[in-house]
Amino acid sequence: MADRRYETLVLIHPEQGEPGSKELATRIRTLIEEQGGNVSQVQEWGVRDLAYLVAKQRRAFYVLFEYRTTPKALQEIERNLTLMDPVLRFISVRQAENAPPAALRPVRRPERDEAEVEEESGEDVDLMGNGEMT
Amino acid sequence: MPRERSGGPRPPRRRGMGRRKVCRFCADKTMMIDYKDSRTLGTFLSERGKIIPARITGTCAGHQRRLTIAVKQARTVALLPYTTVYP
Repeated sequence: MADRRYETLVLIHPEQGEPGSKELATRIRTLIEEQGGNVSQVQEWGVRDLAYLVAKQRRAFYVLFEYRTTPKALQEIERNLTLMDPVLRFISVRQAENAPPAALRPVRRPERDEAEVEEESGEDVDLMGNGEMT
Repeated sequence: MPRERSGGPRPPRRRGMGRRKVCRFCADKTMMIDYKDSRTLGTFLSERGKIIPARITGTCAGHQRRLTIAVKQARTVALLPYTTVYP
């Protein structure tokens, strides 16, 4: 069976902490390799804020795995991921053969985003005020 | 004397004086649609987290389809919200 290019993004429970999450990441890596996967890249995004609550958690540790494997093996990898309790959620996406490898992304600081949103809303209020004055 | 309209395509009539919208992904070929890029995808969401229709953003049909899939993938891994009203 022809192998295909996949990537899996895994959300790890924040209770695991940094070392626990990294350890789990290596465990998942060996799981992929045991299933005959050829891991080309593992990206740790670190703890990020979630867009909504997952398992009553506000944030999670994100890890991205890029690898080649067969569809059959992927099924088995996904089955094993569902059995891991600290794994909140994951998504596997097939990548195009000619797609560039995922670029490393810096961990976003959530505070800065909130500041930007506040600035924007502040501008709106000012505009409204000017309109009423004239 | 009123001129009779000859056959052939009617000249395109535009309502208002708005600028023609162009698909951002067609204009910039280096721009990729990726579910992991929540920042770019976020610009195609409304305040409430809903996907803005192509007729407003000007995205072409093909790119809008891929964009929709990417947004939904990003939502499953909590990179983007389903709604901002009740999180």
